[in-house]
Amino acid sequence: MNRPEMDRSHPVSSFFSSLAFSPDRFITGVASAFFLAVLVFFLLYPVVDICRLSFLKEGALTFENYVAYFSSPRIFRSFTNSIYISLLTMIITTVTAFFFAYGLTRTTMPGKGVFYSISTFPLIAPTIIQALALILLFGRNGLITRYLLGTNWNIYGATGIIVGECLYCFPNALFILYTTLSAVDTRLDEAAQSLGASALKTFWKVTLPSAKYGIASAAALTFNLTITDFGIPVVIGGNYSVLATEIVSQVFGLQRFDLGATISVILLGPSIGAFVLNYYLTRKSYALISGQARPFLQPSRPLKKWGFTIYCGLICLCILLVFATVFLGSFVKTWPYDFSLTLKHFDFPSLGAHAPLWTSFWISALPEGAFRTMIAYKYAPIWTSLLVAIVVAIAGASLTLLAGYIIEKKKPKGEQILYTLSVLPAAIPGVVMGLGYVLAFNKPYFFIYGTIWIIIINIVICNFTLGVLTSIANLKQIDKSIEEAAVSLGSGPVSTFTKVIFPLSRVAFLSTATFFFMRAMTTISAVIFLISATIKLAAIEIIFLDVDGRTASANAMCTVVVAIVIGALLVMRLATGRSGLAGMVTSR
Amino acid sequence: MSRNLRLENLTKRYGTLTAVDQVNLEIEEGEFICFLGPSGCGKTTVLRMITGFETVTEGKIFFDGKAINHLIPKKREFGIVFQSYALFPNMTVEENIAFGLKMRKVNKQAIAQRVDQMLDLVGLRDWRRLFPAQLSGGQQQRIALVRALAPNPQVLLLDEPLSALDAKIRVRLRAEIKRLQQELKKTMIYVTHDQEEALSIADRVVVMEKGQFRQVGKPIDIYKCPNSDFVADFVGTSNFFKGLRTEDRVQTEQWEFAVAQTGSSFREKVVLAIRPEKIEVFRPGEPTHHLVLSNLIPGRIDVVTFLGAAVRLVVNIDGEEVISDVIEKAFEQRGFKQGDEILLYFPPESFLVYPEEGAA
Repeated sequence: MNRPEMDRSHPVSSFFSSLAFSPDRFITGVASAFFLAVLVFFLLYPVVDICRLSFLKEGALTFENYVAYFSSPRIFRSFTNSIYISLLTMIITTVTAFFFAYGLTRTTMPGKGVFYSISTFPLIAPTIIQALALILLFGRNGLITRYLLGTNWNIYGATGIIVGECLYCFPNALFILYTTLSAVDTRLDEAAQSLGASALKTFWKVTLPSAKYGIASAAALTFNLTITDFGIPVVIGGNYSVLATEIVSQVFGLQRFDLGATISVILLGPSIGAFVLNYYLTRKSYALISGQARPFLQPSRPLKKWGFTIYCGLICLCILLVFATVFLGSFVKTWPYDFSLTLKHFDFPSLGAHAPLWTSFWISALPEGAFRTMIAYKYAPIWTSLLVAIVVAIAGASLTLLAGYIIEKKKPKGEQILYTLSVLPAAIPGVVMGLGYVLAFNKPYFFIYGTIWIIIINIVICNFTLGVLTSIANLKQIDKSIEEAAVSLGSGPVSTFTKVIFPLSRVAFLSTATFFFMRAMTTISAVIFLISATIKLAAIEIIFLDVDGRTASANAMCTVVVAIVIGALLVMRLATGRSGLAGMVTSR
Repeated sequence: MSRNLRLENLTKRYGTLTAVDQVNLEIEEGEFICFLGPSGCGKTTVLRMITGFETVTEGKIFFDGKAINHLIPKKREFGIVFQSYALFPNMTVEENIAFGLKMRKVNKQAIAQRVDQMLDLVGLRDWRRLFPAQLSGGQQQRIALVRALAPNPQVLLLDEPLSALDAKIRVRLRAEIKRLQQELKKTMIYVTHDQEEALSIADRVVVMEKGQFRQVGKPIDIYKCPNSDFVADFVGTSNFFKGLRTEDRVQTEQWEFAVAQTGSSFREKVVLAIRPEKIEVFRPGEPTHHLVLSNLIPGRIDVVTFLGAAVRLVVNIDGEEVISDVIEKAFEQRGFKQGDEILLYFPPESFLVYPEEGAA
């Protein structure tokens, strides 16, 4: 056959062809290079710096730090403590959340919507709220322990941490189990029963096995959340040290950055392990989901129905109790002795913080006096938090949407690397990221260190995973031909994104923005390393107030944070007509 | 010179898999071409290479005498209609149609005019302010069609545009596409796996199998004179017999048929194909002396299926099933029913004879 021109066109000339240099490929290339650079610099580099510090002493490789850690029983305890607490929390949370999810999906109990909504509450508050509430109820001056029962027993230590973590992890585990159970085909259960299996046997032989990946995935996630959490153990742990608190106390208390780094590396092991397991299992469990699942349910027998109603009701009551206690605690004079109402706890002790815009605005707007000092200075951390949260929401949602778009739709070279790096942040404990940032960026030439910008970058990077996964899940639902239609009609890469892809991603964008906002308002573990004498954040002030013994003010600050998050959720709901939490948490 | 589209040794390979294998075709301006083939035959890949969404491994695509392989899709200015409609859900009908014109920076007045014109073309003027989700599938595909036509593309490419619609609407929209094509004299390339659709709509049909063009021709020629047993089987329904041909006789396992297509005296492996409507049905005792007796074979009606205008009989002849179509009127007059013993007649001139594939 005569093929005169073919060899010239392939492959060398096609590389230099206009297709290779189309604006689309150029923009994709630049964008993926940007994301790679950002993730390498702000995610990998700090972690690598931690590893380096833990293994190197005066330029030589050494295991001295690790020997020191494992041979000193006092600090080695933090490792076994962490594992013990995480395992217990994992078991308790997974089991309770499973039956809660079972009640929501497999019974015809009343009030499912209310139960479901209440179960999400712990997500909107800093994790410390659980600890604060437990202290108010069961602490040394606890309402129940001291006042009602008059005992000397209190909840500080392992018990407190476990109860607090269970409350905090509950919604996270519940989401996974809820998705799993509502996706598994209920006809399987009916088939088993029609073949003569008893209800109990059906549960053991059909329901439970079909949800096994979901259960394991929820367990792994709970383990990861617990072992990486800092807020609850620092407030309620007392002398009971865990890995996350040990890192902070080595660094802040003893200025032992090398030991802090070493413990960080040790914490990375189980944390990444649990994350990878969760990730892998989630995939597996989604693969089992059939489009055939049928939501129709036979009416449950009265015993089952009311049993589950009471069970779910009790759990929701506990969650509500936490919030009610902290709210109440911030408005009463002296918990638990004097319950007369007051606003004095909202006049926070002078924290020495200032937020330039905020402070100068109020100084010029208000007459001098105690009120001006309170608003202009004492409320500065709240203002800083709000500002950070707004910037994080916008930047985080935009960046993750774009990153998801590049990964899912453009599939550039090295897409797998970009994806792995985007998903990795959730595996790295906040405390580790915080310490990593200090080690990597606390250098004179790194000009944004010590400003709110490093805090913003840190929060965006730490929460990158969920944003990207939400974005990818959303983009998967946009038919490839929609984009091709735009291109064939003459649209370039930029207008395709702005006119077609972005409008179709609006809901995902807003829910991701809400998520970033919530995280920025409530996160503690990473940013505790990045605040300074003048730049403070509301969520972290809760800890400092509590450590200072100003429990009531800590409650008040927590109330303010929760109020701001609820306000943002309401705004989002009004703006979009749907719950800001919908559509994101399950994709974790 | 007219704006022809020419495919020259066009090839697409994915690793070791060859999806499209050195195909050649010249498409005239204003022609309606249909790519027809089973799923996975490479027809959509050919279309996507023409659109530019798929890169070409080897060979060239010429348009208007110039090679366009390396032009990005946007530069080719071909309109595309997708199976999934691919209307922008965030835009109204009007905005969808105007999108391509806006991208080409057409002025506002001209856009408004063109949008009206396009809406009239498919009679959907009253629906202009609605969103795609508020329209039926057929209406959505009409809008997708005029959206692609609005910027006046050189060529319109349609990728299984009717596959997602119900049978009735499919037939109606098919006629509408044909009408539009004739009115606008636009070159259209249409991909489908539905042979009825291809035969009824196209000027020329390209039958594809395993990445190759098996036959290119007018619908009637493809149906009447399929050039291979694959085409005979894929386009329409055929009965097949394998056998050995010596001159004008074909010896199958059970019978010896007389055929009109004479071969050599060498015993050659062949496949016989015959369309169901070509087979004649007789009752025992009816006059058959004018027929070639070797092609008259007794059998029993196993299944009777009513197809509408015709009735399909599945006839068992010595354990082998043969399909024969009888027009409905004749069927009623002669009162055939399941279990009847009958005689099937295979006219020698109705047999198509193909060399058996894989045979030397």
